[in-house]
Amino acid sequence: MGKIQRAAIVLLWATVCCLEPRGTSAAEPPSFVNDVEPVLTRYGCNSGGCHGKLAGQNGFRLSLRGYAPEADHAALATEEYGRRIGGLDPAESLLLLKATGGLPHGGGRLFARDSTAAGTLRAWIAGGAAGPVADERRVVAVSVTPKEIVLAPGEVRQLVVRATWSDGAEKEVTALARFHSNDHAYATVSPDGIVRGEQHGEVAVVVSYAGLVDTVVISSPFPQEVAAERFAARRNVVDDHVMEKLQALHIPPADDCDDATFLRRLMLDLVGTLPDAEEVRAFLADTSPDKRALLVERLFERPEFTDFWTLQLSDLLQNRKERDHDVRGVKGVRSFHAWLRGQVAVNRPWNDLARDVLTARDAAPAVGWWIVTVGEKQAVESEAADSAAQAFLGVRIGCARCHNHPLEKYTQDDYYHFTAFFSRVALDRRPPAEGATLLLVGSRQQRDLERQKGGVEQELAKLMTPSGDGGQPADPAAIEAKGKQIEQLAGEIEKARSAAVTATQPRTGRQLPPQGLDRRAAEIAAGADPRERLAEWIVSPDNPAFAAAIVNRLWKHFFAVGLVEPVDDLRATNPPSNAPLLAGLAGEFVRSGHDLRHVMRLLVNSRTYQLASDTTAANANDRRFHSHYYPRRLPAEVLADAIAKATAVPDAFAGAPEGTRAIQLPGPQADSYFLATFGRSDRVTACACERSGDVTLPQLLHLQNSDTILGKIRRDDGTLARLLTATAAGPADPLVDGLFLATVSRLPLPAERAAVDAALSGADRGEGACDLLWALLNAKEFTFNH
Amino acid sequence: MYDITTGRSAANGGFSRRSFLRVGGLAPLGLGLPELLAAEAAGGPAARARSVILVFLGGGLSHHDSFDPKPDAAEEVRGKYGTIPTSLPGVRIAEILPRMAQTLSSVCLVRSGAHTNDHHETATNWVLSGRFGTPFGDWPAIGAVAAHECGFGGELPPYVAIPRNPSFTWELGKSAFLGGRYESFKAGDPHEANYRVRDLLPAESLPQVRVDRRQSLLAAVDRLAARVEGNDAIRSYDEYRARATSMVLSSRAREAFAIENEPDSIRDRYGRNTFGQSCLLARRLVESGVRFATVNYGGWDHHAKIFEGLDKKLPEFDLGFSALVDDLKQRGLLDETLLVCMGEFGRTPKINKDAGRDHWGPAASLIFAGAGVKAGTVIGATDRDGGQVVEKPVAPADVAFTILSSLGIDPRKHLSTADGRPVEILDAGRPIPDLFGA
Repeated sequence: MGKIQRAAIVLLWATVCCLEPRGTSAAEPPSFVNDVEPVLTRYGCNSGGCHGKLAGQNGFRLSLRGYAPEADHAALATEEYGRRIGGLDPAESLLLLKATGGLPHGGGRLFARDSTAAGTLRAWIAGGAAGPVADERRVVAVSVTPKEIVLAPGEVRQLVVRATWSDGAEKEVTALARFHSNDHAYATVSPDGIVRGEQHGEVAVVVSYAGLVDTVVISSPFPQEVAAERFAARRNVVDDHVMEKLQALHIPPADDCDDATFLRRLMLDLVGTLPDAEEVRAFLADTSPDKRALLVERLFERPEFTDFWTLQLSDLLQNRKERDHDVRGVKGVRSFHAWLRGQVAVNRPWNDLARDVLTARDAAPAVGWWIVTVGEKQAVESEAADSAAQAFLGVRIGCARCHNHPLEKYTQDDYYHFTAFFSRVALDRRPPAEGATLLLVGSRQQRDLERQKGGVEQELAKLMTPSGDGGQPADPAAIEAKGKQIEQLAGEIEKARSAAVTATQPRTGRQLPPQGLDRRAAEIAAGADPRERLAEWIVSPDNPAFAAAIVNRLWKHFFAVGLVEPVDDLRATNPPSNAPLLAGLAGEFVRSGHDLRHVMRLLVNSRTYQLASDTTAANANDRRFHSHYYPRRLPAEVLADAIAKATAVPDAFAGAPEGTRAIQLPGPQADSYFLATFGRSDRVTACACERSGDVTLPQLLHLQNSDTILGKIRRDDGTLARLLTATAAGPADPLVDGLFLATVSRLPLPAERAAVDAALSGADRGEGACDLLWALLNAKEFTFNH
Repeated sequence: MYDITTGRSAANGGFSRRSFLRVGGLAPLGLGLPELLAAEAAGGPAARARSVILVFLGGGLSHHDSFDPKPDAAEEVRGKYGTIPTSLPGVRIAEILPRMAQTLSSVCLVRSGAHTNDHHETATNWVLSGRFGTPFGDWPAIGAVAAHECGFGGELPPYVAIPRNPSFTWELGKSAFLGGRYESFKAGDPHEANYRVRDLLPAESLPQVRVDRRQSLLAAVDRLAARVEGNDAIRSYDEYRARATSMVLSSRAREAFAIENEPDSIRDRYGRNTFGQSCLLARRLVESGVRFATVNYGGWDHHAKIFEGLDKKLPEFDLGFSALVDDLKQRGLLDETLLVCMGEFGRTPKINKDAGRDHWGPAASLIFAGAGVKAGTVIGATDRDGGQVVEKPVAPADVAFTILSSLGIDPRKHLSTADGRPVEILDAGRPIPDLFGA
């Protein structure tokens, strides 16, 4: 740390410490919401690990980070007969004694008796310990300076936080702000806001105060110098921003990958399918300079493209049979799958597709999404709202169901405003034999009335129909009574239909009307389906999360690591690793008319996508900025199909027609040890984390020893048998080449060839080839995309 | 984003070098209890148990018809079975459990298991994790936490489910946010003819020369790790390949699963059925260093014709569970093994119109034994009809708390979710009072 810097910190710290706490003057005692809650939050009293958890701690419970000030005030001032703040001397109150170490406290001593924090609490108690005041001024903005910091490992810098109140007042609040580093490996930050660089790279530090947040990006360029021309080659918007970032951080990009690697990589990522030997040979022999771009276009037209992207959408939209009460059964899952295939095949714009799902009704195939997300509950209380936000906006609002989102602006009120959009959805479940499961729109009361009215109408019809020969004349009085009843019911139905659309906030009991997460109220015309407005708000170009969420998902699909991670957790406190890139791609996506293929094309044609996966000492530590292609294990379905293709022995999946490949399966119900072990998504929630790329012990046991895979190697009509009969033994035996092409999609390098020949020397040709195929199927170059 | 407690790196879903090194170091197999005690003396509760065997009666055993009979209740509550005295003076259980009646002096019977949920998936995930959540399993099962905290001890995985995890429509008791690394290893059904652990013993047995050749071919063609540094998935793959190879080749691992090597007399004593042989396999596994073995014995969801079901199942249970207790005891393993038996709930006091009993969260019976559990005691009681606990209620969190602290794991320790949220292993619970002691 330089001398000047240290002096600056001391000076700053002195300023921070000497700040007069609001209300230490006798005239105005501290405000509970604006002064006391921030102390409780700053020192972690109301954090999830202490009194802020649902159960509280040792009988004392606060709301998580102060989202419910009324309850917190009650807990402090009135619960336990007020003993927590009681006593003659505020300094001797339980609250202060515990916090300042005067009494044993599980959370330890949090601040000194003569600290600012203690002063605030003392003054608040002395001033009468008032609770939240209606219409009190509140914090409307929090900002940290500086916004960007370049910091070498070991260097430190003081952050300064300022808050702005609704009455226009502004104050420094560094001493009461909370600081959090998104990755301690790159930078740490002390509770006082002193940030310290830890290693080269980049990370965001999050600052929060009074429920509002701001972030600061800490960059630490690597010490090495990298020649500017290494970053010069750029093919499109992807490379513009990636190379910019790499250059700023002094991380050299890898060399371009070779053609064989590109073919295999692209086919696995874009169509989920391993190339066969002929495809490899043809692509290597092709001399046209733009053969890579041409390949991309050809692959878009392959049926496997439709299969594979239907699989991606089926994960995202949770296409599964929802337990026993999902009477549609597998048939319903197939119908949603078939519909999605149709959408992928015609490259349906993403906003149109999203709108169709969000407003699906009656017997539309996309009602499947509602059946799964609504489950056994009322739609307004179900997971549908959470799933919609997570799937289409990459926003996790579920936290706010029970308490204000701890890392975002979303409050509990925001959550229930949002769920109000879902309050008119009801499912009428029917087994396929009795017709389709229907999604009906209308309140429960409205539907009950409609049912009643239908019954009376039937009765009336019966009265009007003369029965038997000649029949009885209709009773005019009865007919008139029924008519009146119908009229009356129609009136009640209309009333129910036009009743205000709301959801109940359980903590406050208030009825909240629908509004988007941006807090703009949505006008719902009487009797209209509120989901129309929901869909409109979600897909609107003014809603930046809609484009960003899908673009980030696509990015992660092709680049292994999302620009935002986790891929479906977009929030201000979790900034992208390359913000201009995400914004640039989202802009391209919107301008293209929400064309998914347009974004895919940009991604895979970029120089960045076509970099080799090989690392050097200078870029091996990069895991976020895409200086090289990050290898990852193949997804369950792709790996299953790759093994089937490499061995030329297809799988048979229970319940699926013969010849169905894993990427074509409509739902996760097919019983498959392989797919379950390699982490296919069960699609129970909208979380992308349901698909697992983890590597586990049972996977490795399976690859090495499973009877199924060994059987595929040995099958007499498989790749091995075919190559053994088609080729002849000898020094230039093409058997080895054939096995390499069938598995790792390339020819062996001379050194490999020599090592393989050495290992096989003296072995029986068939046995040796069998062992080689086993080894190739177990090699990471086969089980990974690289 | 790297998190020290889970070793997960959220940025790429992989694992950090540090966690790799921690679990990758091949610790000596089967640390003895004294060493564990010493090793864990520094932090966390003192370990009482080296291993845990959890016998899970999925679907919900009727406590009325087994360990908490109500002979004086009305007929529609009492049920079909009479009661018999046990090795504990004054304590009677259902007559269909004669062996358990003898074994009762070796265990502690808890008649006061209680919670508030009657839904299979929700309650199962609750009792297996100790935390209440959605039916989908928000919280890692106790076994997964044990695997996370104890790590890989040798050739055998730390956490094994026999034959597999509980499941109704989907798998329950999973590792949740801890990730696939801490999922149970599924042993399969040891009662199957020619039982083999899936993928452990290849169908074709290779001569050594071919085993060696495969390894040298693999070395020749598997060069990705040499070209790519710093990739967690690649490191995990190589770590598990080494573990898989050593599991396959290790005689110790094979031997642990080789239930056919048990004398017929022992196999018969446990019962020649899936449950009996699962109990026997569990004993063999903890003997070989497995830290947490779940014996999953489902099928207790008797909504109709309950006595037809119990007439068949309870004798199997009686035989297998009593054999497990007696065998562990005879081998001196009971002192360092905590044995727990429970389901996700009890069943309704009143027999329904279909001659069955329905789901009932408020009362259930549990059994504890070993690792310092006070043998020959009964904890808690239910009311006259067995519907409500009237004495010393034991909550799911208490059971989990007891099991975790027995292993020397602090149940209030904070773990971290994939998105970095700190969560306590348990947010409630306490050791079951009076359970342990001389």
